[in-house]
Amino acid sequence: MQIVVCLKQIPDLQQIRIKRDTREPVLEGLPFLLGDMDKNALEEAVRIVEQRGGKVTALALGSPKLRDTIKEALAMGADEALLLIDPAFADSDTMTTAKILAKAIEKREYDLILCGEGSTDNYSGQVPSRLAEILGLPQVTYVRQLEFTEGGLRATRDMEEALEIVEVSLPALVSVTSEISEPRLPSLIQILKAAKKPLQEWTSEDLALSAHEVGKEASSLEVISNLAPEQERKNITLEGEVDEVVEQLTDAFTREGVIAR
Amino acid sequence: MSIDAKLALDAFKIDEESHIQIDQTRCKERCQTRYCLYVCPAQVYTLGQEGEILIRYEGCLECGACTIACDTTLAWNYPRGGFGVQYRFG
Amino acid sequence: MAEAEKVEVVIVGAGLAGLACAYHLAAAGLEVLVIERGDFPGSKNVTGGRLYLHPLRSFFPHLWEEAPLERHVTKERLTAMGKGSSVTVELSSERFKEKPYHSHTILRAKFDPWLAERAAQKGAIIVPKSRVDDLLWQEGRVIGIVASEAEIHADVVVAADGAFSFMVEKAGLGKRRKPQDYAVGAKEVIELTSGAIEERFGLSHGEGAAQLFFGSLTEGMFGGGFLYTNIDTISLGVVVGINALMEKEPGFELHRLLDSFKERPEVKPLIEGGHPVEYSAHIVPEGGLESMPQVYGHGILVVGDAAGLALNTGLIVRGMDFALASGALAAQTIMEAKKRNDFSPASLSRYEELLKESFVLKGLETFREVPRFLQNPRLFNLYPQALSESLERLMWIGEEPKEKISTTLWREARRAFRFSAVRDLLRVWRI
Ligand SMILES: Cc1cc2nc3c(=O)[nH]c(=O)nc-3n(C[C@H](O)[C@H](O)[C@H](O)COP(=O)(O)OP(=O)(O)OC[C@H]3O[C@@H](n4cnc5c(N)ncnc54)[C@H](O)[C@@H]3O)c2cc1C
Repeated sequence: MQIVVCLKQIPDLQQIRIKRDTREPVLEGLPFLLGDMDKNALEEAVRIVEQRGGKVTALALGSPKLRDTIKEALAMGADEALLLIDPAFADSDTMTTAKILAKAIEKREYDLILCGEGSTDNYSGQVPSRLAEILGLPQVTYVRQLEFTEGGLRATRDMEEALEIVEVSLPALVSVTSEISEPRLPSLIQILKAAKKPLQEWTSEDLALSAHEVGKEASSLEVISNLAPEQERKNITLEGEVDEVVEQLTDAFTREGVIAR
Repeated sequence: MSIDAKLALDAFKIDEESHIQIDQTRCKERCQTRYCLYVCPAQVYTLGQEGEILIRYEGCLECGACTIACDTTLAWNYPRGGFGVQYRFG
Repeated sequence: MAEAEKVEVVIVGAGLAGLACAYHLAAAGLEVLVIERGDFPGSKNVTGGRLYLHPLRSFFPHLWEEAPLERHVTKERLTAMGKGSSVTVELSSERFKEKPYHSHTILRAKFDPWLAERAAQKGAIIVPKSRVDDLLWQEGRVIGIVASEAEIHADVVVAADGAFSFMVEKAGLGKRRKPQDYAVGAKEVIELTSGAIEERFGLSHGEGAAQLFFGSLTEGMFGGGFLYTNIDTISLGVVVGINALMEKEPGFELHRLLDSFKERPEVKPLIEGGHPVEYSAHIVPEGGLESMPQVYGHGILVVGDAAGLALNTGLIVRGMDFALASGALAAQTIMEAKKRNDFSPASLSRYEELLKESFVLKGLETFREVPRFLQNPRLFNLYPQALSESLERLMWIGEEPKEKISTTLWREARRAFRFSAVRDLLRVWRI
């Protein structure tokens, strides 16, 4: 079983600082992590290969920081990493990103492609579907459980109010939710061993993509602004005995419509 | 600026388990000075109603001043890797 | 604990000392693993803010050219604070403006990751988010470490884990930690535009100011305040002896001291309109030579703050340059020991020799008496108060006719400087 897992590196959202005057997030200097659901997908891939044999390839597109960020995927059990790093790729929208990833995947053999349902930062959730479309693969979304059948996979889809079970033949693309697995915390030894695993890098040239097929120029989506919501604090201090204060607090919450009486 | 407002400026990754332990009985019996209340720059330690020491380990800045001052019962370690305060300026 | 792995050197802590050591070892082709408990190197590290580069140039030629330094310091200020008055001495010198610059302000969460990247380029493996829990022993010798249930074996372990070093404790190399040997610092980083900073401190583009404060701001306690200008932030903090905090009656919290420091008229206008963006705290070793641990053992070396290599003379605060240099000297020791394949105390004692020959221990030796001298409370209440009050009386024109300057001076001197003062003065002379 050859599995390709697509992973996105995202800034550590727990460390983001918001500029007070402009409400802009300060992204400069933030450490990067792998997307949460991407790690769920990777964990599932590693488990499948542990049971059935095969190979897991971690595929990621991003800044040179990826070289560091991807180590976590290798430590978690990916057998190799394939990184798509090129300044020309910067500011690619979801369509262009899917196009670039597809080019890379086409050069590989694969039975299954696993993605997270959405990324932890923007959560537009478009790349998996676009990727399946470009590669001409069947796709199953919102998957919380995977089993192997004779001819392919049986997937349980999370429809919030209901579960849907579908079957799909391979090769296929599956995007997963966080319920599918609990990503392992790699041990120090695994982290050390990861440093020795194969890591390949491709640029736009390796993918036979020209400069105007990638990056901002090729993207139809334009980000106009990215701001933190305006926060207004009421700064009300309640004073008195505990019972009184609780009463005042529930009143205040009811008035604000936070709770209903 | 209150200590809470100061600490709110920082990024904390909070472990479910406290990295600070205290033996309340020993503390009450043996310690009159309660240095921890004053040497901690994050006011992790406050006095409870029964004279016990309350610990807000979540806001610990991991300096270790409390353990240097306390010779009674404080068991302090650094939080596990990847937890605790993460400075963005330093 | 089934898993085990072997490397040549394990370094505990990716601060300046650990990273400097890793950089040199990796450059020499040794297999080095640096383990850091923070999210990234620099995420747990606090400093005041100024790095003296001259002593380090021979240890790291050319390394500093692309370093993320904030401002080069061209203006030095020292402020003695009385209750309602203060005296500031300001030194500007053309010499501070000459390249290569004398000292730079830095922020560790920017600087340390950069140094880590340099070390990684040389081949060091740096693993963040991992805490080293213990040392591994065999027949009285350190043979590795335990971290997150994994054992890593190594020829030698370098304890670079900072002022509160559990490794030194576990290796049995340290003495009992005494409150009088440590100070605790609390600091705010305050955001301002770089234009405002340059205007307020009278600096040209890229230049920086450093200001140290002592006197009434610490309420008579051993310690002081500091201010360093970064590119678009100011690092402002207070440092007070742990012992002094313990003895203070009634108790006084450090963060309140910092708040009243910010309200002082000497400080307030400098940070007016700025937004605090971070609050941090850290301890500083203040015990000098006397309280240093043994810096080597069987299979282990101790570097930087973990070895107590810090110096506060009241005028100058140093620790970062010592950390970087001691890391480099430990690396040199390990390379030599590796050639002999001998990591016994006799072989590793070379490190102490190298430290003694270098500016690190020479510096600490020169200022051997300082820690005890600074325990003198008169330095933090009587003298700064007297100095600023006396000058105030000299400058004051009231309703009565002004007396002769010499009369004022004589009276002021008698008020402040008694017998003890002569003794204090003599001790300064010896430093
Ligand atoms: C308020 C203040 C002001 C100062 N001002 C100045 C100044 O202006 N100029 C100057 O030169 N010096 C100054 N100093 C001193 C200087 O900051 C220190 O000497 C210097 O940071 C020491 O570097 P280090 O690498 O030895 O330790 P640190 O920078 O403390 O690094 C130790 C590292 O080890 C890690 N670690 C600890 N335990 C473990 C473990 N068990 N497992 C894994 N990792 C671990 C920590 O997370 C940390 O990253 C100041 C210090 C303070 C607190």
